[in-house]
Amino acid sequence: MKKFFKDKNLFALYSLFVLFILGAAIFAPWLVPYDPFDAAMKDSMLAPSFEHLFGTDKLGRDCLSRILFGMQTSLMMTLSLVVIISGIGMMIGLISGCYGGKVDMVFMRIADMMLAFPGIVLAIAIAGMMGGNIFNTILALAVVSWTKYARLARSLTLKLRERDFIAAAITSGTRLRQIVWRHMLPNILPTIVVTAAMDIGTMMMELAGLSFLGFGAQPPTPEWGLMLNEGRQHIQTAPWLMIFPGTAILIIVTIFNLWGDSLRDIMDTQKIN
Amino acid sequence: MREFRKFISAALVICFVSIFMTGCGDSKKEADKTTLKIGVTNFADTLEPTENYFGWVVMRYGMGESLTKFDEKMSVVSWLAESWQISEDHLSWTFKIRDNVKFSNGKPLTAEAVKASLERAFNKNKRAVTFFKYTEIVADGQKLTIRTAKPEPNMPGFLADPLFLIVDVSAEADHNFAKEGPICTGPYMCQSFVKDKAVMVKNPYYWDGEVPYEKVEIPSIDDPNTRAMALQSGEIDMAVNIAAGDIGLFKDASKFRVDRISSLRTVLARINQKGVLGDPKVRAAFISACDRKSYNEVLLKGTFIEGKAPVPPSMDYGFKDLADPNSYNVERAKQLLTEAGWVDTDGDGILEKDGKKLSVDFVVYNSRAELPLYAEAVQSDAKKVGIDVKIKNVDYNLIDKMGINGEYDCLISNITTANTGDPEIFLSWYWRTNKNGDNPQNGSGYSSPVLDAKFAELSSEFDQQKRHQLIIDIQQILMNDGAGLFLGYPETNIISSTAITGAKMYPSDYYWLTNKISPVKK
Repeated sequence: MKKFFKDKNLFALYSLFVLFILGAAIFAPWLVPYDPFDAAMKDSMLAPSFEHLFGTDKLGRDCLSRILFGMQTSLMMTLSLVVIISGIGMMIGLISGCYGGKVDMVFMRIADMMLAFPGIVLAIAIAGMMGGNIFNTILALAVVSWTKYARLARSLTLKLRERDFIAAAITSGTRLRQIVWRHMLPNILPTIVVTAAMDIGTMMMELAGLSFLGFGAQPPTPEWGLMLNEGRQHIQTAPWLMIFPGTAILIIVTIFNLWGDSLRDIMDTQKIN
Repeated sequence: MREFRKFISAALVICFVSIFMTGCGDSKKEADKTTLKIGVTNFADTLEPTENYFGWVVMRYGMGESLTKFDEKMSVVSWLAESWQISEDHLSWTFKIRDNVKFSNGKPLTAEAVKASLERAFNKNKRAVTFFKYTEIVADGQKLTIRTAKPEPNMPGFLADPLFLIVDVSAEADHNFAKEGPICTGPYMCQSFVKDKAVMVKNPYYWDGEVPYEKVEIPSIDDPNTRAMALQSGEIDMAVNIAAGDIGLFKDASKFRVDRISSLRTVLARINQKGVLGDPKVRAAFISACDRKSYNEVLLKGTFIEGKAPVPPSMDYGFKDLADPNSYNVERAKQLLTEAGWVDTDGDGILEKDGKKLSVDFVVYNSRAELPLYAEAVQSDAKKVGIDVKIKNVDYNLIDKMGINGEYDCLISNITTANTGDPEIFLSWYWRTNKNGDNPQNGSGYSSPVLDAKFAELSSEFDQQKRHQLIIDIQQILMNDGAGLFLGYPETNIISSTAITGAKMYPSDYYWLTNKISPVKK
């Protein structure tokens, strides 16, 4: 019982952080001191000062403004990616688990095929073929990442099928669709949500990684991975171009990971079994 | 507790990284006197000198030599040819080939071998005929005569182009030029070659003095920053083209020697006349929107000169007197776009006409650090007048093909303007009318009868004064038509460690590795 409260407090704390981040991202256009796209070329590569807290980049754009705007881009990309893959993965897993037989075989063999490739390499290949932009990057990572959710949802469904209340539902003549929606889905959803929450950090890193390699966001979009890549050329002469976006990624990913962990700790107390 | 552990491990990672980074500094090893290491950017997939522009690499790596070469002032001087003269009727050039030259397989260089090599270049590369067309090449002992149907005033300059470097054609039967490197006459010959790294060894038969190194390793380090760091750490002894922003890192004269010269190159964006920039007003507006002074003086820290005309001021072709009708003027740019019928109807800052957004595809490549920077600067300036510039990053190897096929609105290039000693070829390649592919480099669709007439005149003009004026006229026509966006003129550099001597950058950019580069004797 004591542990439960401790977990809850931690969860509340991390949730506060997350809310803070989301707030900063949403209100970025009102928070930024400068227009992140406005190139004032005479101010190129200024070191951090009171005027430009994080310095300016090669085109004289304010780094703090770009990082705040970049948070919007990164979060938007990450959250939509996580929603897409967990949603699609869960649906496919549910269907496979419930219907079994051929449907199950087809979906799971496709999943096996995707799993046979190293994920990020396949994502690079897909993004490379389709050309670099934000949408394609999300698509590329979605293609390689849904399998995890599909497998998870399927195994949870298979386990649920053995349970008495499902047997009761079947014997009382409930239709299959009803069973899936009313009994299965609500029971597997918490696990999927926890997994998704814990995935946010990883996905953010992978998206930033693809952008860093030039397959994701394209200039002049402020995006952290892209900003790191731009700063890389000046690592010795203008290190702030790498330090601040890098730190931003570190902090945000850490917060989301901690939040995901604490969410799981809470959910653990009300496990399905 | 688990959270605490995570913080600790994160802190540890940061510590390790910083320790690792400090280790990068001064780990300079004792210089190896028999091996030279040069950091370059290499675009060549093979060493076949007639493929694409790969001959440049063969010459830069100290393998290939041609009949003539350019000195520090871009004057044509003798190399494999000792002397040359032109006949009375201006239709045949006679070159006297040196008689002490041997190929790296020990075979002596004769006029016959030179003839075979030149013919091979003409057979294998379509670019050859854009320099000159011959009716006959005659070899007689060490005397080589090239006959042409029309006068070719700049023949000695043409033959200095790496496309015409001399290979032993008879060796091709049992030697794969593309993979193992051609058999040439230079101080070094190829031991192994892949795109990422070439290894050269001493040519035992070299004719022009001693060859100081047994072995030369030439890794291709495409990322400019990595190349700078490799030189700082002593991993390489010299590096070619350190990025503008990084030159300041090599200020210490006791460790590094910086050889910077203003090059013969122009950074320009070719403008496709078949797309949205085909409208002269839109084109003029696009060029006018670009604050080229800031790009070069601020963003590139003055290592580039502000662009205006096709030919850089380092060559005397009237740079000061040429008038740029499209100099930086934001108001004029907006005005022109309005006149051309482009208005912002939906308030997103990008102009529209007939429901189409004013969007320009700008193709760039990354191996030269300044190119993406220019592109992004143009993108940001163009946005201010309502033009949406989409930057497309492609591999360097695709650039030539995309240029020829015209798959761009704007295509960035860093081009040498005088590969034959004067800018005639450069100007003609990119802007003379391309009739059914007879001038493949002009993929932009640009065509001007007035200009073509000037080119026709220039191609057979011997009088230097008149050539000079013609080239000025041609430039002015191009500028008036907005035929290209001339962004800037780069400096080029070779930075070498003080453990070696003799590393020198030539304006013509063909001679990187020579036998003049040697270890410093202590």
